[in-house]
Amino acid sequence: MRALCWHGEEDVRVDEVPDPELVNPHDAIVEITATAICGSDLHLYDGYVPTMREGDVLGHEPMGEVVDVGSAVETLEEGDRVVVPFTISCGSCWFCEEELYSLCDNSNPNAEVARKVMGQSPAGLFGYSHMLGGYAGGQAEYLRVPFADVGPLKVESDLPDEQVLLLSDVFPTGYMAAENAEIEEDDTVAVWGCGPVGQFAIQSAWMLGAGRVVAIDRVPERLAMAREHGDAETIHFEEEDVYDRLMAMTGGRGPDRCIDAVGTEAHGTGLMGLTDKAKQQVNLEADRPHVLRQAIKCCRKGGTLSVPGVYVGHADNVPVGPLMNKALTVNTGQTHVQRYLDPLLEKIEDGDIDPSFVVTHREPLERGPEMYETFRDKEDGCVKVVLTP
Amino acid sequence: MSTDQRGVTEREPLHGPNSESSRGSLERGGRIAAATVGGAIVALGIKRRSLGGAAAALAGGWLLYRGLVGGRSGDESFDTDSASGDGRLDAVDASDAVETTRSTTIGASPDEVYERWREPETMSRLYGGLFDVTARDEDRWHWTASGPLGATVSWDTQVVEDRPGDCLRWESHENAPVSNEGQVRFREAPAGRGTELTFRFRFEPPGGSVGAAVTKRLEIVPESLAAVVLDRFKSLVETGEIPTLERNPSARGAGDLL
Ligand SMILES: [Zn+2]
Ligand SMILES: [Zn+2]
Repeated sequence: MRALCWHGEEDVRVDEVPDPELVNPHDAIVEITATAICGSDLHLYDGYVPTMREGDVLGHEPMGEVVDVGSAVETLEEGDRVVVPFTISCGSCWFCEEELYSLCDNSNPNAEVARKVMGQSPAGLFGYSHMLGGYAGGQAEYLRVPFADVGPLKVESDLPDEQVLLLSDVFPTGYMAAENAEIEEDDTVAVWGCGPVGQFAIQSAWMLGAGRVVAIDRVPERLAMAREHGDAETIHFEEEDVYDRLMAMTGGRGPDRCIDAVGTEAHGTGLMGLTDKAKQQVNLEADRPHVLRQAIKCCRKGGTLSVPGVYVGHADNVPVGPLMNKALTVNTGQTHVQRYLDPLLEKIEDGDIDPSFVVTHREPLERGPEMYETFRDKEDGCVKVVLTP
Repeated sequence: MSTDQRGVTEREPLHGPNSESSRGSLERGGRIAAATVGGAIVALGIKRRSLGGAAAALAGGWLLYRGLVGGRSGDESFDTDSASGDGRLDAVDASDAVETTRSTTIGASPDEVYERWREPETMSRLYGGLFDVTARDEDRWHWTASGPLGATVSWDTQVVEDRPGDCLRWESHENAPVSNEGQVRFREAPAGRGTELTFRFRFEPPGGSVGAAVTKRLEIVPESLAAVVLDRFKSLVETGEIPTLERNPSARGAGDLL
């Protein structure tokens, strides 16, 4: 089959690779009909995620049609149309039973590698480095899905792919980000990063009762999207000082809830931003926690910080003193996608939201390598790319 | 490096008695070749830093050792002529032994977990890709570590303590080339979380202090071996299968990274 494979920093190619096969009894094979490029794929593209290996198939936001199922699969059969969550979860361990799906104990074949780095291993993920599973991803013609009874969401309505595809990651991720922000009625919520996760965090903040949403970014198209689709007030962080502006907007209190929907590749301004970049380039610091720092500084005392943005390693100069003295609550984690599939699908089917508003580019799989570049450089108004194999 | 060299020096006198027996220079040439090949396999194992590599290093270490002390090449059981009087490996003092202990929590009762460990095919599934394990009978397993170029080491283990739902302990046979023992203990976990399983594993690396140095440089061998075995066992009990990357389109096997 054809697949988008990682070959190194800024080197993604369409390769011919062997078709995936059923290996375990709970596996299913899905023929991919639509697959998206995620902002966190850019961390792979830019070489910030360790334990990638040449030839790895990328992609963790796929959907398609079930073409084969293992002997133990009960809920799916050939011909079913499914959205595949990026988290692989067994459904049987303590964490899965607690609905903490992204912390599944049994889905990472390289758990010991993750354990050496983190102390314990989170769940395996599709196409997201060997430390987090090493599973081939979904930017390909076919995908092997382990524990197929637990992950894939069956879509029985005739909604087009584009409207349901983003249930695989960015829509639930934005929703969980808002949930993690512990929003109370009429709270002011600040969202750093207006990529797809930020856009869905904005929408979800309203759903959860926010009184005001402020979106922070530097890309005009994304800020426009946050204003038009998300009803957010916006701050262009290169044009004005984020702290000053937020204080002016909130009577000096700071936003009640802050969401870092950026993660490791934040574009910092000023001296700290430059220091991070230099350190990252000599591998002293894997992550650039610029947004995290700014959010801690801006957040209201006793407020909540929600971090859906992907961090991968260690970070310097995170202001722990302010965090502690201001009594902030921090909620983090990869998305427990399975927890949100049914309720969010219902919202789409009821017409409460059409997630396809973030999709700006639709291209065949062959154009994948160019689209990684376009997306990374935020050219051509690119917010979200959907590829069809 | 210096540790390796010291190891080699310590072995030197052992050539004496063996050389004085019927072994000729041809065999000594064979020994040098075996030692060279063994050394190459050890180096390969270290370079790969993987579990498969660890098994290769184990087999390579064994070949190296036999090259140095003058054992026969091949796959047959250990030749006691080249071992000291107690039938164990020469010059393996207690400090060369590698010991590791790891724990995991499994969502099933101690009795169920014990039963699962005792199923005949469990060992081969837990060690698949690392060692070849076959059950000789209920209490006896046969182990083989294979390296490249046909280097293999085999040994048998025997259950020596068996308390259902509580503890199971096994030991290698007296003349095993890789002298080892292991134990699993099952304890009820708090808050209904099932069973806390503790796995203790001890072995004397083949090749005495050469092997020990190799194993220490590999670091990862006993620690990660125990961890991977526990991960696999937990998944098997909780889900009925072991997560794997076998036949991944990117063509990489499970645990290959280690
Ligand atoms: Zn994603
Ligand atoms: Zn699980």
